[in-house]
Amino acid sequence: MAARPEGGSAAEAYGSNRYVSLPAELDPATYDASPEKRRAEAERLAIRAQLKRQYQLQLNDPHRPAVIEDPALIRWAYARTQNVYPTFRPTPKTSFLGALYAIGPILFWIYVFKTDRDRREKLIQEGKYKRPLSLF
Amino acid sequence: MAAARVRGVLWQRAAARLRAGARAASDLPKELMPGPYPRTPEERAAAAKKYNMRVEDYEPYPDDGFGYGDYPKLPDRSLHERDPWYQWDQQDMRHNWGQPMHWDFDMYIRNRVDTSPTPVPWHTMRKHFLIFLTTMLIMFGVGEMYPSYRPVGPKQYPFNNLYLERGGDPNKEPPEVKHYEI
Repeated sequence: MAARPEGGSAAEAYGSNRYVSLPAELDPATYDASPEKRRAEAERLAIRAQLKRQYQLQLNDPHRPAVIEDPALIRWAYARTQNVYPTFRPTPKTSFLGALYAIGPILFWIYVFKTDRDRREKLIQEGKYKRPLSLF
Repeated sequence: MAAARVRGVLWQRAAARLRAGARAASDLPKELMPGPYPRTPEERAAAAKKYNMRVEDYEPYPDDGFGYGDYPKLPDRSLHERDPWYQWDQQDMRHNWGQPMHWDFDMYIRNRVDTSPTPVPWHTMRKHFLIFLTTMLIMFGVGEMYPSYRPVGPKQYPFNNLYLERGGDPNKEPPEVKHYEI
């Protein structure tokens, strides 16, 4: 259905971005069987097998703790909560974004409410303001 | 105890380091916790080992001062794309014990954001949606500017415009009401 670019691959025609990833069938890395890739996969498998073994040892231990702590989960929670302030650094980009998200909405709503009230005050002074139906 | 010798469960050493402002005794020691951005290759290798990753796979977030520290930048792929038939340690989260979690892990769970490949390319879907949306909005706008209804007139009541029902005198002659002209 998508038009093929001249000399382009199906992967380019698909156009993966940060919302969708490339299907495995169109990804050239799927068909890559080079020794480097296989060594990398073997190393990853070795790490994975070690972790699996540690987890199974804890799981099948008759005196296993009630909750088997996952260090990856502890690190994830720590990084997102307590490690943000020590590693934060005021740079032009962070300062600009901080002002945009913190002070921007305040100034915006000040402007909106002020202009709306001024407009309504002007209409009331001129006698043209139609009071809305109030239930109170 | 075999459990205490397992990498990461060093609660005895952690308890000994408790001081004001420190973490709980059940936490990991400081070497195994996330830290600042790694500057030297040795720090990188140590960080990769800490997160159970290969040194070549480990890539921290850029040092922009946003507060990521040395946390690894994993590909932004949701859990929908992980193999559903593999025996994960945590089958519902499709996560293995000790495997580094994505920074936005809670966003990419299977109840939420899904980045799995779609049958139709994203740009095609976006194009079709925008065409439909703009067409409908333009038609609604044109309909607001030039409304078109069937012609209507005032309602016509029988019996001389309901003379008696409206409280007219029954002894008097009602006024003739003509609703049409032949």
